[in-house]
Amino acid sequence: MSSDRILASIVLCLAIVLPAGPAAGGEGARVAKTWRTMDEVSAAEKEVLDFRSETPRDPKFPYLPAERYPFEPPYTAEEIGIRSAEFIHISRWSHVIYDAFGMLTGGGYLNQGAGVALVHYLPEPGLAGELYQIAPGDVSTRMSFYYVFPPEIDGAQDLYILHRTDDKRTTKIDYFTYAPSLRRVRRQPEPRRGERFPNNVQSFDDIIGRGPWEFAWRFIGADVLYATLRFPNTRATITLANAARELREVPTSSLKMMGDEYPYYRQDGGVDCWVLEAKTRAEWLPGYPITKILYWLDRHSFYPLRIEQYDQKEELQVVEVRIARQENPALGELGYAALDTVYYDPKLDMTSYSMHDAHTVREWTDADRQVVFSPDFMRRGWLIQPLKSQALVRSPSEFYLRPLLYPEKFPKDRKIVLTPEVEARIAAQEAAGHVVFETQTTVSAEASP
Amino acid sequence: MSRDLRRTCLRGIGAALGLAAGLASPCFGGVAGDAWSRFDRFLATFDPAGHYVREPIEKQIPALVFKGFLRQWTDALLTEDQHVGFRNKDFRFLQMQNLLEAELHYFLAPNIEITNINHFLYDGTYNWQWSEGLFAPRVSETARAYHDSERIVRELYVSYRSHTFDLALGKQQVAWGKMDGQFIDIVNAMDRRESVQLETSDYEYRRLPTWMANFTYFFGKNSIQLLYIPNFEQDRLPPQGSPWYPPSVPPPDSVVRAELAGNVPPSGDIVLDRQKPKMSDFGDNEGGVRVDFSMEPVTWGLIYFNGWDDNATNYIVDRVAENGVPRLVVQPRYKRLNHFGVTGDYATSFPDVPMIGPLPAVLRVEALYTLDVPFSDFAGRAAAELGDLNSGVVERDTLRAAVALELALPANTTVLFQPSLYYTFGYRKTLGLGFGGAYLDEWNLVPVFYVDRPFLFTSDRLRVNFTGYPILGGPRSDFQGIKTKLIASYTFSQFIVGKLIYTAYSGGKDIDLYGQYGKWDNIGWELSYEF
Repeated sequence: MSSDRILASIVLCLAIVLPAGPAAGGEGARVAKTWRTMDEVSAAEKEVLDFRSETPRDPKFPYLPAERYPFEPPYTAEEIGIRSAEFIHISRWSHVIYDAFGMLTGGGYLNQGAGVALVHYLPEPGLAGELYQIAPGDVSTRMSFYYVFPPEIDGAQDLYILHRTDDKRTTKIDYFTYAPSLRRVRRQPEPRRGERFPNNVQSFDDIIGRGPWEFAWRFIGADVLYATLRFPNTRATITLANAARELREVPTSSLKMMGDEYPYYRQDGGVDCWVLEAKTRAEWLPGYPITKILYWLDRHSFYPLRIEQYDQKEELQVVEVRIARQENPALGELGYAALDTVYYDPKLDMTSYSMHDAHTVREWTDADRQVVFSPDFMRRGWLIQPLKSQALVRSPSEFYLRPLLYPEKFPKDRKIVLTPEVEARIAAQEAAGHVVFETQTTVSAEASP
Repeated sequence: MSRDLRRTCLRGIGAALGLAAGLASPCFGGVAGDAWSRFDRFLATFDPAGHYVREPIEKQIPALVFKGFLRQWTDALLTEDQHVGFRNKDFRFLQMQNLLEAELHYFLAPNIEITNINHFLYDGTYNWQWSEGLFAPRVSETARAYHDSERIVRELYVSYRSHTFDLALGKQQVAWGKMDGQFIDIVNAMDRRESVQLETSDYEYRRLPTWMANFTYFFGKNSIQLLYIPNFEQDRLPPQGSPWYPPSVPPPDSVVRAELAGNVPPSGDIVLDRQKPKMSDFGDNEGGVRVDFSMEPVTWGLIYFNGWDDNATNYIVDRVAENGVPRLVVQPRYKRLNHFGVTGDYATSFPDVPMIGPLPAVLRVEALYTLDVPFSDFAGRAAAELGDLNSGVVERDTLRAAVALELALPANTTVLFQPSLYYTFGYRKTLGLGFGGAYLDEWNLVPVFYVDRPFLFTSDRLRVNFTGYPILGGPRSDFQGIKTKLIASYTFSQFIVGKLIYTAYSGGKDIDLYGQYGKWDNIGWELSYEF
């Protein structure tokens, strides 16, 4: 008991004596002011925007604009919000990916997993298919997830049957699991919307998307992003797989926010973004834990490069940043998909990632469609399209950096509250170029580049 | 004394959990936090069997997938040494089991696979403590260690898959059903060495795989499975002299030890060799069929199984007089049973529940009806002892069924309520035990309650769940006791998980299912490394 008190006293003294350094600006600080409120955006830039909040409605679905998706400029905030829903975490076409994912705490606890996701998107590819071909309540997507790592869950499977929802038909997921240790397929309760996955920052809604009509949209401003997801200086390269199942070593510094083919990079490498606010509509999402979401959307395809979620106190709860690339050229600007996504919870100081490696567009055969995406298929333990990847993080010291928080941007609309300890950890990370775990020593020798 | 010991243990668990949780908390900084951080980062990549065994093997043989685990379970009693019923309970450890699993999958072609799962088990409880009451290895060495290929080679089968059908031939286990517990999960027999402490999560390692042909045909979202099982395996109950041998069952330990030593002649009934179904006799083989339907949001299925009762019943075959004392001659026999089962589940969501909002839920149902189950009948036996020779066995239909409601509460909290019913049709007080029926009663109702949640302040590494299993019954008993189980599991790394488990038995009478184990409260720990 007395030793506990001594230890607690030491911890308390150190916490008081040690200075909590100011958060370094990192890459964001190297660039001049990049953000502008809508008042500061030029009239010429605003020509593509429509600031009306009331527009004619679709006669069949009054929660949608009368104008047919994907809309023509000028765009209202609502229309851009709906366009951004094209790019949820799981692409809106049939495909296969190797999903490597994991989380890291500020203290260095690393937990990872990996699996092969088989996605069967029932309508024509793209959001338009779901909006105009799938009736509310009907199934839009069937996704099977076969875990291959860690060993404890190797062979476990999930089946998600996703429904289009509206205000009356609110069942979003039928969810089944198969555990080899039980050898049983179990139907699970529908995951609670907005609730984190255990052991991760992201929620089910972050993965399967939210209905854009569940939110009230407005323009916040414009910004230029120079960095979204960042690799540490301890990880100079990453091995990526392609659809041909070739593995190739890629310098992490060469990965661009929207991939190599994106034609709209600024000369300085930045991506012009609109910043929009999506405020939760309580009549659609009663009791939802998120009150608003801020989106940084590229100005051309409206791809969300950065997403910030705010809790009931309107304080920043989750930051999501992405690196995307063109994965389905047949769809043009709608063919972008997340290659790598990082989620950060500044209150828990927990970071998660999800890397979609070996993305393969796939048309399922009739036999596949009939059999593969059903609950009973899971007990066969059959991974019908094995994929290989080396995208898992090898050690905590090579984990992704916490995303930049940009506390100076849009201060009226963003409230960021950090504990001194988290501020200090972020500052140490930015100074070192990699995640720093030990608060009593500057940088561990192991983690040095 | 025992109460103090129990309190001390519970305090110890609380302190250990608090320390682990505190150290893992991101709020806990300073020197201790740094030390814990170094430990965490060391464990994150600590996978020696993966690096030095699995990876080199898989590199040499690309078509082979190799994996496994090493698990250590220890359970220690919280009560002092004493005589309980017919048992000399002079031991402290209920198990000190070490299990190594080696699992191999070799792909002859993308859809043709050979699977082999091997288990190497050693239970130190018979060697690492002094006890007269633990002599089970003299009855069956398997209680201490798996020492023959039958137990070491758990599964060995070849499988072929196509879109429309699966065929698996060889030694394997098949689990039917959707519920926690055994309702239509009747294909394989079970090693029940842990008796009332055998949990659903243990079935994977305790089922006794058998040689069979397993064919499944898939049509749309539905399927039909056919099983042909030439190889019969019976349940393995706790042998005499093992930690979980029921204290309510005679004879006393001292008598059994003396008989095993040859110091006294066997007493009681004259027991003939067991009449066991033969693999070579087609008429002795088992078979079953299962049909599954997926009609979203409902999935359901039906089963029929024609197989042997997994436990033999003693049939009286003769009555002899030895030195003027009448003795019954009995033969353990297996009875072929017909089982009919149904299973189903349904998902829904209750909108606008106060304080919770939408409340997702799943309802599961499962039932098994079995015809003509043999029960020992003490009235028949008494008549036989008096000279009215009869088999001493009567047959009754039984039903076991359960309904489960699982709720997804906020903070990743799961609550499950599962009332289970066991019923013996045509019950009379002189009946013993029979498959699927109530425990020495006409009916049992077991309203299982379970709650589980992770703790965010430990980054979900600490997870605690509680289960209560009360047994109600009638007309003989009102309450047969309650088992309560508290489990705290902690994820040390992506390869290593530890658990602390407290199990208590209270209430009921000395002959009741849980009541007889009232002195078997125990605390256990489990450490598992998977590679």
